[in-house]
Amino acid sequence: MAAGSVIQYSGHKYFRHRLALSILSGKSVRIDKIRSEDKNPGLRDFEVSLLRLLEKVTNGTVIEISTTGTAILLKPGIIAGGSLVHDCPLSRSVGYFLEPIIMLAPFAKRPVQLTLRGITTDDNDFSADLMRTVTLPHLQLFGISDGLELRIKKRGAPPGGGGEVQLLCPIVKQVKTLNFVEPGKIKRIRGIAHAVRVNPQFSNRMIEAARSILNRYIPDIYIYSDVYKGEESGKSPGYALSLLAESTTSALFCSEATSKPGVAPEDIALQATRALLSEISKGGCIDQKHQSLVLLLMVLGSEDVGCCRMSQPTPRTIQLLRDVRDFFGTSFQIVSIEDPTNPNSADLLYSCYGTGHVNANRDLA
Amino acid sequence: LSLRRPTRRDWTKDIYSTNLSPEQIVSQYSSSSSRSLTAHAQRSDVDVVEMDNEDDGFFFKKPSNDTENTLLDPSTMLSDLADKSKSELSPAELDKWADEDMLESIRRLFITAVTETTGEDGGDGA
Repeated sequence: MAAGSVIQYSGHKYFRHRLALSILSGKSVRIDKIRSEDKNPGLRDFEVSLLRLLEKVTNGTVIEISTTGTAILLKPGIIAGGSLVHDCPLSRSVGYFLEPIIMLAPFAKRPVQLTLRGITTDDNDFSADLMRTVTLPHLQLFGISDGLELRIKKRGAPPGGGGEVQLLCPIVKQVKTLNFVEPGKIKRIRGIAHAVRVNPQFSNRMIEAARSILNRYIPDIYIYSDVYKGEESGKSPGYALSLLAESTTSALFCSEATSKPGVAPEDIALQATRALLSEISKGGCIDQKHQSLVLLLMVLGSEDVGCCRMSQPTPRTIQLLRDVRDFFGTSFQIVSIEDPTNPNSADLLYSCYGTGHVNANRDLA
Repeated sequence: LSLRRPTRRDWTKDIYSTNLSPEQIVSQYSSSSSRSLTAHAQRSDVDVVEMDNEDDGFFFKKPSNDTENTLLDPSTMLSDLADKSKSELSPAELDKWADEDMLESIRRLFITAVTETTGEDGGDGA
């Protein structure tokens, strides 16, 4: 689109959202000094793999990588979508790859049906479970819902992986303007405990431990014990507990903890549970980990003022806000909320004027 | 008004009109209750830059005595895990939920709040 304008960044941080912003805005991005001071400089295998995946999802994207791997230039093409398969390296879980894809998929030419193979649950990125139960419902706030699905076909714990998930994402013409300012009260807690290639009792032990803390708050708690057997359970042993709390206004808060060597399932559950409470205590309508996704979609909304109540931004969120301004010229207004019921509330109201981003790639037939 | 500590700051300005790194902005805010850090952060730009180099990355708070920082090699964290979506909660952050008062403190956020703590929290019913 806008030829000649190249947005320039340095360093490997915030790699994913910058690439996604570039493709959405149609502006080229150049990222240099990628670990140039490191003993092992340049892009990592998962970053190269992400670039490959973006190449598959789009049509006409030109990616140039310098010989040392410390600089890249991406000239975005159109988001093509369609049926795709991608093998993820074992250095990052499928969540790493799904996150930027989810930002792009609603604006594709054809609905995305993406199969990813690799690790489905790890400590760094959203597990497939959280993606399915928390991230995707956030898209529904923007009117992306019919046919939106993430199927977990096989689980894959690190280090061996062997998992497989399929993302089905519909396309939209435009996303809705968000107006989400009422956090509501937590009405239910759900969870998924899974254990693969270990004693299946582990998931029950995690459920017990989590309930021992959560039962005091509300009765509506259901933690599902998800059993995968044989081929479906991947190549390595592991277990994890994902929790989510839903409020009366459908605000979602989530947490997760995954198995570590030498740590009892009860302690993993305790970790996940406490992380959930910590997330709930931060308040707002959006889970802190999902701020970036929501803010990005707010920017792409129709030409109207969208607003959302959230807790304080994380460093990632702050950088996203800055980068959004570079690509779209849109900045947010962020003001404190005076909440009469809770004077200590640190919640902020984020509002912005949507860019009216229209999916021009969409097949009109 | 002047008596109140300026806890409510201008996020919009900090984010869009300063050159502070995201971590610096967040650490300033989260430490606004413990004024020593805020003062430290505001003292001089040089100081701020140094602070940032120590824990360059993804801890929300400036962890003054975080053992995790020393356990994990900062360079490996920096190089490979910077772009991660899950937030790392410090053990201290998690441990505070062992406390009964802490557990009770968020009861008002649940639907059961009105019926169970009518005296205390009845005000925000409906």
